[in-house]
Amino acid sequence: MAVYEVGPVEDFPVGSHRVVNLGKIEVGVYNLDGSLHALPNFCPHQQGPLCAGNTAGEWNCSIKTGWLTHYDRPGEIVVCPWHGIEFDITDGHCLSSPRYKVRTYSVNVVEGKVTISTDRAVASSKE
Amino acid sequence: MFIVDADVHVNDTPGALAPYCGKPWRESLEELAKGMWGYLDIPGFAPSLKLDPPIIGGHPTRSVNTAADMRAELTELGIDAGVIFPDHLLLFAPLPHIEYATELSHAYNRWLIGEWLNKEPHLYGAMLACPQNPEDSARSIEEYGREEKIVAVYLPTAGVNPLWGHRKYDPIFAAAEAMNLPVALHSVTLVSPAFPCNIDQFENHFGRQVVSHAFGMMANFTSIMHTGVPARFPNLRFVFTEAGVGWVPYLQWRMDRYYREYRRVVPFLERPPSEYIRERMWFATQPVEEPEDPMHLVETIKHYDPDFTRTLFASDWPHHDFDHPRAIKNLPMPSDAKERILGLNAAQLFNLPVPQAVAAEVR
Repeated sequence: MAVYEVGPVEDFPVGSHRVVNLGKIEVGVYNLDGSLHALPNFCPHQQGPLCAGNTAGEWNCSIKTGWLTHYDRPGEIVVCPWHGIEFDITDGHCLSSPRYKVRTYSVNVVEGKVTISTDRAVASSKE
Repeated sequence: MFIVDADVHVNDTPGALAPYCGKPWRESLEELAKGMWGYLDIPGFAPSLKLDPPIIGGHPTRSVNTAADMRAELTELGIDAGVIFPDHLLLFAPLPHIEYATELSHAYNRWLIGEWLNKEPHLYGAMLACPQNPEDSARSIEEYGREEKIVAVYLPTAGVNPLWGHRKYDPIFAAAEAMNLPVALHSVTLVSPAFPCNIDQFENHFGRQVVSHAFGMMANFTSIMHTGVPARFPNLRFVFTEAGVGWVPYLQWRMDRYYREYRRVVPFLERPPSEYIRERMWFATQPVEEPEDPMHLVETIKHYDPDFTRTLFASDWPHHDFDHPRAIKNLPMPSDAKERILGLNAAQLFNLPVPQAVAAEVR
């Protein structure tokens, strides 16, 4: 299992969004209200730099909202800068198509340092 | 692999074009340059009708301001050469003031040559035709078309009225044919009263975007065919950009079917429309269709282009729905077909130099 230390926890304050290197791969780290999440900086659509994109909320309109438009979960969605495809930062699912799911990484704080595991089994246990 | 991009866009602001514009219209551009206008939305320059409030959470718009930046960004995408189209002047056709539109078309063409084509060796240009003044535009094609790096005549397609098949445009087609320059139709999402882009009845941008480019192409393509432009200008070549390619087999089959039924009303067409398509029409891929099974796209291309010689890669860089070359590289098709679509077809069509190593490999 590969675990990478990516810096002191103070470098990842609430609301922050940073891209870090884990060996050869780039990972976006997001602090959503104190909870750390990590995704590959790689959009499966046309391989754009996903985590260079803005974060946003989730636009919803369904029978549950009485067919009125809601804007929920601000900050929990990343929008690929290349083509606007939206991914849920907490679980990597694509809001517009199941074709484009991205994996997530397990993020922990160990003795004040943020660590990210690239082990897929650990990551999938979150999903 | 040698990659040619049939459609890239440059940021043609009023302020940038003003020094290239004759008076008194230069002052108009200088006035416009003082304003804070929106993306593809400048009154009297890129007349739009933006109907929506800002919708937060989108991806950013991008512009390219210098030839050096364009060169660097295309290199980053792995693209060797690009054919330039405008940004704002995609919305050129609805400008009603004929004298102003005429001078603006000259300003754009001078600026294109001066600021872009003369500054980077592998940037080429599609010069702007002025549908508001076909006679002047024909003279422009003869003048600017002599420039080595002008490789096509861009026909502003969104909002053009009448459509491009109207005989008033014959001088433009005649001049392009005489200069051996292909004409390139390029649309844009534009709310306009002109058929078929009168898309005000869609309540959000999804509907407008889906319909505007492809239907703009289909309407103008049908217009060109129904007055026999390809028959009356037998050496003229046509390029259709930024509408994808999925519509092409549909329109080809539909035109052939009704040609069989109504040949008597289009007797100037000596052959079915599909034969003119096969012979002298090229289609740029962007925004490339992305079916679940990519083989469906390859089969779609084969319906109108069985030898993969009439399809051109285009990125549409830097726009929001651009395609990376890997959108073509990843398709399940023979590697020589990819080489043609990604570069060699465009090099042949636009008469661009092909690097010696690539040329030797192809031979």
